[in-house]
Amino acid sequence: MLDFIQMVVSGVAVGSTYALMGLAMVIIYKTSEVPNFAQGEMALASSFLAMMLLTTLKMSVVPSFLLAIGFAVLLGCFLEFAILRRAKNTNVLGMIVITIGIEMMILGIVSWKFGAEQKTMPFPIGPYDSYMIRDIFIGKLEALILSSALVLMSVLFLFFRYSKLGLAMKATQQNSIAARIVGVRTNRILMMTWGISSAVGAVAGLLISPVMMHPYMMWDPMLKGFAAAVMGGMTSLPGAVIAAYLLGIIENLFGGYISIEFKSVVAFVIIVMILCFKPSGLFSRHYIKKV
Amino acid sequence: MKKSLTVLFVSLALLFGFMPTLMAEEGVTDTEIHIGQWGPQTGPAAAWGAVARGTGDYFKWINDNGGINGRKIVYHMFDDGYNPAKTKAGVKELQEGTGIFAWVAGVGTSPGLAVKDYLMEKKVPWIGPSAGSMHWVSPPEKYLFAIYPLYFYEAKTLVKYAVETLKKKKIAIAYLNDEYGKNGLDGAVEALKAHGLELVAKVPVEAAEEDLKPHVMELKKAEADTVLLWTTVSHSVRIVGTSKAMGFAPQFMGSSTTSDFMFMNYISKGLYEGVICPTFGPVSTSDHPLIVKYKKEIFDKYASKEERWGQFYSAGITYAEPLIEGIKRAGKDLTREKFVTQMEGIKGFQSLGPEINFKPYDKNDIYSRQGTQSSFLIQALPNGETKTLTDWIKME
Repeated sequence: MLDFIQMVVSGVAVGSTYALMGLAMVIIYKTSEVPNFAQGEMALASSFLAMMLLTTLKMSVVPSFLLAIGFAVLLGCFLEFAILRRAKNTNVLGMIVITIGIEMMILGIVSWKFGAEQKTMPFPIGPYDSYMIRDIFIGKLEALILSSALVLMSVLFLFFRYSKLGLAMKATQQNSIAARIVGVRTNRILMMTWGISSAVGAVAGLLISPVMMHPYMMWDPMLKGFAAAVMGGMTSLPGAVIAAYLLGIIENLFGGYISIEFKSVVAFVIIVMILCFKPSGLFSRHYIKKV
Repeated sequence: MKKSLTVLFVSLALLFGFMPTLMAEEGVTDTEIHIGQWGPQTGPAAAWGAVARGTGDYFKWINDNGGINGRKIVYHMFDDGYNPAKTKAGVKELQEGTGIFAWVAGVGTSPGLAVKDYLMEKKVPWIGPSAGSMHWVSPPEKYLFAIYPLYFYEAKTLVKYAVETLKKKKIAIAYLNDEYGKNGLDGAVEALKAHGLELVAKVPVEAAEEDLKPHVMELKKAEADTVLLWTTVSHSVRIVGTSKAMGFAPQFMGSSTTSDFMFMNYISKGLYEGVICPTFGPVSTSDHPLIVKYKKEIFDKYASKEERWGQFYSAGITYAEPLIEGIKRAGKDLTREKFVTQMEGIKGFQSLGPEINFKPYDKNDIYSRQGTQSSFLIQALPNGETKTLTDWIKME
């Protein structure tokens, strides 16, 4: 029983990272209708910038992280403005290929600038410091990611529900032509969406960086975040979050009770099964056509 | 007339095309010798990428000190990302496009296995694979000279030390789920059998896996008092760290691939203290005369400013030294067969690594092509320093 509880707790802990990446992908998909495969690398660039500020300029954690998130916003805006928007008459597949190209470009730049070897980021919380409750442990860093994810989700929920910008984003997603007619500057909205999404992804990247950094560190969270987004429904923010936690728990239970070798495969089997049986996702209300 | 001219031109073109091959050994000209290596410059094994760069800087030093018998080394290194498919593609491209005389080092058991048969069929020498796999010498191949002590025996040596010296009884292993990891697993199983014991847990780890909590849970459930780590540097750090978080504190023992304690200490933020590993050369922080010399003459002069002087970089020199020795001995009239004969004559050769001894090829004797059998055990101290636990151990 204790093992089961530990696996669920570990699954929830790791699910927070997937939830943040899934959220970031859904935010973009809701307005641009493109799965952004550069999501992980956008977070990667911001994380390495923070590491550089901490180690080379000896800045402290809070200003470094805030600057890195600011950089992430600018990076997201820039990529939408300078690259995605310039793509004329492309279909979804074309846009996906563009995001893959951006991903490879950023990965190459980060590898070239910082090297491919593993690195560490100075952080007040040790990567493996943990809380032990009875015999159940949760890492302090994981607890921080979990609480950050919950706070961010609440902020995003309120933002999209009650703020003018959030409403404008929803309007752009639902019908961009109608939104433009009523005075919404849809191009600007798209740019800001990418900025916000990049910032959400950067939070995930920054909080897993104290464990270990290397250019491929965001691949696994990005893919699992994508799996969570598909599972939850690519247009459902709460769906992506719930699915991410479910995914983390399923992965850990599968690894603990069935096969540790195929633990990581579970996420991709889930993508395939969801696409076969409920392509709109578990929590999506419509878009049955959009597969 | 037109037809005769066409036949003449085609014949001349074929003649010029084949002439270099007819006139000299592949990969050798009057002034150059082409040597190739693959290495993970990116990807999950990137920490081991320093091996190929160490070799490259060593060759630059050789060239600047007159080359070998009037020839310079032209070094071809490519990034295979520890992906066997990329290794095969890169080796084929260089071998068939440029023409490589011999291959040196090359990190990874699985990447190496992807090209071993190809190189052996083409009779291209391969010296010092940067992996201690049994596959290189079981059965031995005429053109493959192995230097890295075998992982199988490293695992046996560690288990023997754990059981006989540390009096441990419950030994488990976390191993990368590829040929490298399985070599360690097999060695551990055989050594434990000799002591009437079995592994209490064997936990496979996938190369792309980042969350190792389930793996550590399994090790903890088995109540292992010793855990062998036959994984990459980042997996080893994650297992050691996650174990600490879970309040699980066995004696960790890693393969030589994680024996760069300065680096392991840095990426583990000090958690690697106490881990025991075998190694087969002076540690990079020691005052061994060759370490001091190579650091000054090679690293300080040729390495890029982002490079780190460590175990993996110096290993790139260790694997290349016997290759250079063999080429020197073969003389000006360099052919692969002459080179192989000279390599077989290498006895008692000791430079940075352990003593190397080869013999004339015998398909029933692995030591005709496994040049080293010895390692010694070291333990990580605080701040990445090293404590030597044993003298050279002949591993068998």
